[in-house]
Amino acid sequence: MKKLALFATLLLLVFAGTALAADFPAKNIRLLVPFAAGGGTDAVARALAVAAEKHLGQPVVVMNRTGGSGAVGMTEGATTKADGYTVTMITREIAWLPQMGLAQITPDNFDMIALVNEDPAIMLVLPDSKFTSVKDVIETAKAAPGTVKFGSTAKPNFYLLALELNQGVKFNQIPYNGAAEAIPALLGGHVEFTMVNPGEAISQIMAGQLKPLGVCSDVRMAGLPDVPTMTEQGYPIVTGTWRGIAVPKGTPEAVKAVLGAAFEKAVAEKEFVDFMNGRTLGIRFLNAADFKTFVDNDVKALDAVVEEVKKQQQ
Amino acid sequence: MVALLLNGLHTTFSLAIFPFLVLGVAGGIVIGALPGLTATMGVAVLLPLTFGMESTRALVVLAGIYIGAIYGGSISAILLKTPGTPAAAATVLDGYELARKGEAAKALSISAIASFVGGIVSTVMLITISPILANFALRFGAPEYFALAVFGLSIIASISGKSPVKGLLAGMFGLLISTVGLDPVTSFPRFTFGEINLYNGLAIIPVLIGLFALAEAFVQMEKIFEPARTVETDFKRGMVSLKETISLLPVMIKSAFIGTFIGSIPGAGADIAAFVCYNEARRTSKKSKEFGTGCLEGIAAPEAGNNGVTGGAMVPLLTLGVPGDAVTAILLGALVIQGLQPGPLLFAKSPDIVYGLFSSLFVGNILMLVFGLLGVRLFCRVVELPKRIIIPVIVTLSMVGAYSMNNSLFDVWVCIAFGGIGYIMQKVEMPSSPIILAVILGPMAESNLRRAVLMYEGGYSFLWTRPITVVFLALALLSLYSSYKRAHAA
Repeated sequence: MKKLALFATLLLLVFAGTALAADFPAKNIRLLVPFAAGGGTDAVARALAVAAEKHLGQPVVVMNRTGGSGAVGMTEGATTKADGYTVTMITREIAWLPQMGLAQITPDNFDMIALVNEDPAIMLVLPDSKFTSVKDVIETAKAAPGTVKFGSTAKPNFYLLALELNQGVKFNQIPYNGAAEAIPALLGGHVEFTMVNPGEAISQIMAGQLKPLGVCSDVRMAGLPDVPTMTEQGYPIVTGTWRGIAVPKGTPEAVKAVLGAAFEKAVAEKEFVDFMNGRTLGIRFLNAADFKTFVDNDVKALDAVVEEVKKQQQ
Repeated sequence: MVALLLNGLHTTFSLAIFPFLVLGVAGGIVIGALPGLTATMGVAVLLPLTFGMESTRALVVLAGIYIGAIYGGSISAILLKTPGTPAAAATVLDGYELARKGEAAKALSISAIASFVGGIVSTVMLITISPILANFALRFGAPEYFALAVFGLSIIASISGKSPVKGLLAGMFGLLISTVGLDPVTSFPRFTFGEINLYNGLAIIPVLIGLFALAEAFVQMEKIFEPARTVETDFKRGMVSLKETISLLPVMIKSAFIGTFIGSIPGAGADIAAFVCYNEARRTSKKSKEFGTGCLEGIAAPEAGNNGVTGGAMVPLLTLGVPGDAVTAILLGALVIQGLQPGPLLFAKSPDIVYGLFSSLFVGNILMLVFGLLGVRLFCRVVELPKRIIIPVIVTLSMVGAYSMNNSLFDVWVCIAFGGIGYIMQKVEMPSSPIILAVILGPMAESNLRRAVLMYEGGYSFLWTRPITVVFLALALLSLYSSYKRAHAA
C-alpha cells in the first residue's frame, strides 16, 4: 500500500512536471534589466525580448530596475518567485559585486539560462595622441608610474586592473560615471586614454574622432578588422564584459528547459543578429551548463583582482 | 542648408509626421504638468512604443515630448506650488506667488511665451553654431565642472526668500544628504546602513516630489474642507500684455542663451539652467528685491532657460554622439535602436533625419506656445477645484511618480519621508529649493573636485590656472557678494 502511494505520488509529480512545462509560459514574462532604459544592457535586453517572444509565444516585458551598479535589479531577480515568469539579464557585475561587499546575492542565487553577449574592451586615444601603440602607453606608464591619465568608466575598473596587474604598471585613474562621461573627457583631452566596449564608442571611432590602439580579445573583431589585438602586440590581456539570462535558484527544470530553448533560438533570430552587428555588440551563446562554468571561472579570475582593489581602498 | 531645412519642413508637415508631433508636444505638456512624471520619465516610458516606428517619426515624437514636458512642469509649479519636473523648481519661487495674487493666467502665459523664446533661440543655435558649441563644451574638464557647480551653489542665498540663513541651512542639509551612496572615487559605501537601495544615493525625483508636492498637500490638508484654495483676491483673467512681453524679451533671450550653453555641456541639464538663469536675472535686475514675491522676470528667466536647454542638449548628441542630459541619453538609445549612429556621421549619412528633427523642433516649439496659451483658461480651473478633490489627486500622483522612476517601493518611502521633512520646513518657513539645488549640484561638485585633484596629482593649481574655472569661481563670488549686499540693504 505504501509503495502504491509512493508510486502514485511520483506519477503525480511527473505529470505535474510535464503539465507545467506544457503550460509554460501561460502569461507575460518579465525581463528584469538592472540598468536604465536607453543604456547598452537595456538595448540588448529589448532586442532579445522581441526575438524571444516568437519562441515563447507570450509577450516578454522589459522592466528596468536600476541602482547599485546593477545590484538592486539583480537582487530582485534572484529573490523573486522561482516560477520562470521573471527572468533577469545578469551582467558581469554579478561576478565581483558580492566579493566587494556591494551585493548580498552571488551567482549561486541564480540558475543560469543562457549567455547571449560578450564584448571585449578596446583601448582608445585621440587621433593626434602622442601614443601610437599599446606599447607607447605601457612604456610611458612604466617610465613614470601613476602619471598617465586614464578615463575610467567605473571604479573599480576591471579593464584597467587587468592591464595593470598583467604588466605591473600603474596609471592615474580618473573615475567617471560610465562611457557617456568618459568619452567626452577623452574627446576634450582631459584624460589620455580610456578603455570601453567597442559599441560604446563606435560612432566616434567611425568618425575618426577616437583612435583604437588595441582590442582585448583573442582574435580581431569582425567589425573592426584593422584594429590589432593586445595579444598580437605582445600584451596578452583578454578582458571585457558579458550579459546573460538567469532565473532564481530552484526554478523547475522543465521551465528552465523551455526558457533555454527559446533564448537559444532568439539569439539566432535574424533581427537580433542584425541589431547586435549594427551596434558592434558581440553575440556569444552558451547553454545553461556552459554558462554556469563560464560564470564560475570568471568569479575565480576576478577574485585576485578584487583582492587588489580592496588593498587599494585601504 | 536652407534647402535641407525646407526639405525638413516638408517632412514635418507630412501626414506621417505632423500628427505625431502634435501628440508628442501635447502629451509632453500633460506629462510635465503632472507632479511626479518628468520629461526623462515620459521619454523613457514611451521609448518602447517608438521601436516599431520609422526613424524620423520616432525621434520627432520623443523630441516633442521633451520640449512639451520641460514647459509643462511650470504649469503645476505656478498653480499648485509643485514643480512638475525638477526643471520647474525655480519657477515656483515667483510663479506661485504671482498665482496667489490672483494672476495665475498672467503667470502661465509668461511661462508659455518664455519657454517658446527659449526653445526657438536654442533651436536656431543648434542649427547654426552647434560645432562651435560642442568644441567649447569639450573644454569642460573636471575643474570646469567643479567651478560650474560651485557657481550654482552660490545661488542658494538668492533663492532663499526672506531668510538667507534658513536657506543656507537647507542648502547644507541638501549637501549632507547628497553624500549618501557609494563614494564617487573609491566606491566605498557612505551612510548606506547596508541598504543597497541607497548605494546610488537618494534619487532626486522622490526627494523633489516629497519636498514640494507632498509637503504642500500636507499643508493644504489642514484646510481641506474649505470650499476652495486660499483666494486672496479675485481671479483675474488677464494674460500678460504685449508691452510686458516686450519688456521681458531681453531677460528671455539672455536666459535662452545661458540655457543653450548649459544644455550643450554634457551632464548639465534643465534644472541647473533654470536656477542659474533665475539668479542671473535677479543679479542684473533693477527690481531684484521683488524677486520671490511674484515678479514677472522671475518666471520668464527660468522658463526661457530650461527650454533653452532642449536645443542645447541636442548639440553633443548630434555632433559628438554623447548625450547632453538625461533625456538626450535616452534619445541616443532611441537613435541606436533605430539603427542610426549618433554623432558627426549622422549629418553625412542621414541629413534628412537630422533636418527633419531640426524643423520639427521649430514647429514643436510653436505648437507648445499655441497649446500653452490656449490652455491658460483651462489650467486655471485647477485652482478653483475643491481641495478635497485636488489633494487626493496630488498625493496619488506623487506616489505613482516616486514609484515609477525606478519601479521602486523604496523610493515611495523616501518620498513620504521628504514629504514630512518638507511639511516641517514649511511650518518653520524654511525654503525647500536650496535642498533641491544642493542635491543636484553636490555630487557634481564633489566628484569633479576629486577628479580634478587626481588629474593634478594632488595639486590644486587648477583653481587659478584654467580660465573657464577662474571665470566661474569669480562669478560665484560675485553672486555671493550681491546676495550679501541685498540682504544688508534690506
